[in-house]
Amino acid sequence: MTVLGTPHKPRKKRREASQPATSGNEIALSDSKAAAQSPAFPLVAFLWPARKHTSQWVTLPLVLMIVGLFRWCMGLWGYSGFQTPPMHGDYEAQRHWMEITRHLPISQWYFYDLDYWGLDYPPLTAYHSWLVGKIGSLINPSWFALDSSRGIEQPLLKVYMRATVIVSEYITYIPATIILSRRLARLRGVSKWESSIALVAILMQPATILIDHGHFQYNTVMLGLVLASLSCMLSDHPIWACTFFVAALCYKQMALYFAPAIFAYLLGVCLLPTLHVGRFVGIALITLLSFALIFAPLELGALYDTHNGISPPLSTSNRQVNPLFALILPYIDERSMLYTLLLQLSQTVHRIFPFARGLFEDKVANMWCAIHTIHKLHTYPIPLLQRVSLFATMMSILPACMIISLFPRKDLLLWALASSAWGFFLCSFQVHEKSNLLPLLPMTILFAGDGGLGVEMRAWIGLANMLGAWTLFPLLTRDELRVPYYVLSLLWAYLMGLPPTNLDLYIGKQAIKSGMRLSTQSLHLTIYTAMAVWHLLEAFVETPKGKPDLWLVINVLIGFAGFGICYLWCTWQLILRSGVMDQWLAFRAQMDAKVKGKRDEKEQFLPPGKGTRATPPREAKSGKGQKKS
Amino acid sequence: MAHLYPSIAQTAVIVTALKVLLFPAYKSTDFEVHRNWLAITHSLPVKIWYYEETSEWTLDYPPFFAYFEWLLSQAATYVDPAMLKVENLKYDSWQTICFQRATVTVADLALAYALYKYVQTSPASSQKASHAVAISILLSPALLIIDHIHFQYNGFLYGILVVSLVCLRKKSTMLIGGLLFATLLCLKHIYLYLAPAYFVYLLRAHCLSQESILRIRVGNSVKLGSGILAIFGTAFGPFWYWGQIDQVLSRLFPFSRGLCHSYWAPNVWAMYSFTDRVLLYVAPKMRLPVDQNALNRVTRGLVGDSSFAVLPNIPPKMTFALTVLFQMLCLVKLFLQPTWEQFVGALTLCGYASFLFGWHVHEKAILLVIIPFSLLALKDRRFLGAFRPLAVAGHVSLFPLLFTAAEFPVKTVYTIFWLVLFLLVFDHLAPVSSQARVFVLDRFSLLYITISIPLIIYCSLIHELVFGETYEFIPLMFTSSYSAVGVLGSWIGFSVVYFTS
Repeated sequence: MTVLGTPHKPRKKRREASQPATSGNEIALSDSKAAAQSPAFPLVAFLWPARKHTSQWVTLPLVLMIVGLFRWCMGLWGYSGFQTPPMHGDYEAQRHWMEITRHLPISQWYFYDLDYWGLDYPPLTAYHSWLVGKIGSLINPSWFALDSSRGIEQPLLKVYMRATVIVSEYITYIPATIILSRRLARLRGVSKWESSIALVAILMQPATILIDHGHFQYNTVMLGLVLASLSCMLSDHPIWACTFFVAALCYKQMALYFAPAIFAYLLGVCLLPTLHVGRFVGIALITLLSFALIFAPLELGALYDTHNGISPPLSTSNRQVNPLFALILPYIDERSMLYTLLLQLSQTVHRIFPFARGLFEDKVANMWCAIHTIHKLHTYPIPLLQRVSLFATMMSILPACMIISLFPRKDLLLWALASSAWGFFLCSFQVHEKSNLLPLLPMTILFAGDGGLGVEMRAWIGLANMLGAWTLFPLLTRDELRVPYYVLSLLWAYLMGLPPTNLDLYIGKQAIKSGMRLSTQSLHLTIYTAMAVWHLLEAFVETPKGKPDLWLVINVLIGFAGFGICYLWCTWQLILRSGVMDQWLAFRAQMDAKVKGKRDEKEQFLPPGKGTRATPPREAKSGKGQKKS
Repeated sequence: MAHLYPSIAQTAVIVTALKVLLFPAYKSTDFEVHRNWLAITHSLPVKIWYYEETSEWTLDYPPFFAYFEWLLSQAATYVDPAMLKVENLKYDSWQTICFQRATVTVADLALAYALYKYVQTSPASSQKASHAVAISILLSPALLIIDHIHFQYNGFLYGILVVSLVCLRKKSTMLIGGLLFATLLCLKHIYLYLAPAYFVYLLRAHCLSQESILRIRVGNSVKLGSGILAIFGTAFGPFWYWGQIDQVLSRLFPFSRGLCHSYWAPNVWAMYSFTDRVLLYVAPKMRLPVDQNALNRVTRGLVGDSSFAVLPNIPPKMTFALTVLFQMLCLVKLFLQPTWEQFVGALTLCGYASFLFGWHVHEKAILLVIIPFSLLALKDRRFLGAFRPLAVAGHVSLFPLLFTAAEFPVKTVYTIFWLVLFLLVFDHLAPVSSQARVFVLDRFSLLYITISIPLIIYCSLIHELVFGETYEFIPLMFTSSYSAVGVLGSWIGFSVVYFTS
């Protein structure tokens, strides 16, 4: 009990209003000799002058300006696919979508020339592209001219595209982060000043900036919608939470990583402690309605186009009907409205979920790629692999989903999301290295909760983020983004007081006081050392002959190990914080007492109640997990 | 000593990260200028440094800067030897960009060190204020725009200036301070504008006895004199020996250039030009004579002789006379009260006078005013009141230096960030003055700052939407006239404070 009790003891107690914002806090270190306090890590130092009476109306705009500047400066660098014809990269894909949505009738969007960056994101991305393309065409129509603009590379277009990423982020992700961190602060009794520090820490997270503003994507829009959904859940607005989450899903299907945990939570909220039928029905209806609303323009547009004699380009170009639609084709009349609607819907779904692709594409730090390096997986048939991966994913997210549905508590939500997203990242198929932004999101948001900036949490979240950025390095190297990678990840490490810039978390006074276990400390330091050594190897040592991918493979293996540990930590913390263990131990003690009383009743051991059913499978892991707690 | 956060080192780390991220940003011809100097100093004998003219960007900095470039070129050979070829005009490989940008960034550490020393030597009572000032200089948007985007090496030069000022604080290090300034002059001769204040202060506080101005402290004078001679000898001696002094000086002081730089620095002459433009439309009605030749020149803003259509032309001698006149006024006061703060005040006023009335002043020269003034800005609220319009005007006047779309958000957001942060912090830290404030000046500064917002919006957005590419001199003229009002206003404000305290 003592072992389990310490880690989740809230370290940052609610402070009295009269006290200055720093008392009894780990982020302000008190020196026993002098009365003066000092900041625990550099980021605290930068907000040090704001700790007393500075208004949020001053701190927040300044913070937003600075994080915006770093994003914009990041954008001055290259993007994916710069000067690499014929296909270029993600930048061209996004631009191409703007081009086709701007010019083509809506019914053709998901059909047009699929071999050249055919649209394969859900409708909200398509609408977003349409809007951006429309505005961009006002500035310079040649940027998004149909077909003739393919592979266009212009400095001003780049500025425009970068600006759209920033503007989209400042409309979605940033307000969502601010609101969520404020809400968490209020819920968990964190002062405004600490909340501001957490906000900067979250917004300077290197991986997100590098991918969105360097490599070029619009992940933050989806992540922002997820955060908006989370903040609605925290403020007891499950209906709005559904709407936002559906929007996130319809912006980028990757939000599915969070879906099981969010579903489990909402289910739990409806079922426990008492059954809320109304709420359940409301949630279900709103979810359906949101989907319907988001798909409506696409479907209605298709109908309208058919009415005007614009048929989907099936008849004109490649006559492939997508496999989903092929299933239902025999049952419907080609001239009915249903035909158009279902064709459009099935094509969209088919484009969004490429079931036919392999287990993994590039080298990514997940289980399959890691196993593949030791035991070649491509010898197995794809359906089998898909089933195995589905099963593994289910198993990996099971603990998180079980716990969050049985204990639908707000303080567990982020942990459950992190655990299930890590499960998806590690075990599901068709994972991209960029997908680690998803598990990193709830984990990084933990900064804003109680104890989030304390030594242990900072060490773990910091490790996950440093590792996350590090596994992106091969991708960023391809985009010529080495320098910004080093700058932004080292800057963040410096701000948060992490290795390699600072060892205070692991060695020295602060580390001893924190009560972090030696095993955890050595584990972290081993991973950091491995990353550093890898960078040296990659930079200065040629790969041995015949193994050109050796460094990449090592990156994947270390990344997988590290992410696996992060998954275990998040899951373990979720279990600890849920109180399942306490209940189970209490139950055991009770049983022991009974057993002492009546030895002969030993055979009649009954499984503990519903609430503790989740524990036995976790118990097996607790042996591993304990040393990390 | 209580520690102040964020420390200068911490700030330097962050700002260095930002500077590295700015590597691929727009760079002006000054980048090529400096690359050419690297090439000249590396591949040619010293004898022809000041004669070489393959590139139009000839060497026009004093010898120490050339030596500095020579030092850098030693490292550059390992990075990309092609940048060191004189005939490789406009050469800008990625390695060259990284190398040159990195040298600016590294050289800036001198400024960080100087500011650290400055805070350390400040009296305990004003340490907090000095710390805020030091951070504000380290984060200066002017330095970021000029050095890290436009491309120049001002950061470390101002570092030397600040170290020299710090040395002048104490009697024991006064000699070093003087010699450092002599070195600085041999690095970049623009600091000649500040030299009169140095001369008077060193003369009064170091070379003459404190009790009586008639008693000369021979030891000090000899040491200082011979030191300065030695420094100038090292710099210019070789060229004097080869009989090249005239050539060197003609490169350093190109009097053939016009009164106003291609873009008008916000000084008195900008307002004069502005008035001339306005009079041009009024003149026919008032039957004033109009010089037809001059009509097409100023509008284009070409480098060359500016001539005025209605108002009388300004000869260089006149600008010189005005500069000296206004410098003399503050120097007299410095001579009578040779304290360090008076000295920094006189330094600022010398900067002001030469910036406002000088011949062919660059907008970048505003740093000569902003940086010394920053050191005094927190003395009390009256100083701050005069500082505010300068902080706005000085930085806004630099905006036209960067005209590319990609750098627009950087310059504006960073400058606004800096203005909001430091005007608030300074406002919080500046102590109440013992003397009454001048009401008019206070209101002026508030009004002035407010006007900047619509002005920036007009110049950067609305003008292009309304007029397109035509009349592009209008936003430049507005910016520089507006800034000129601010600089002039703050000069008047500061002079009032300086002469009344």
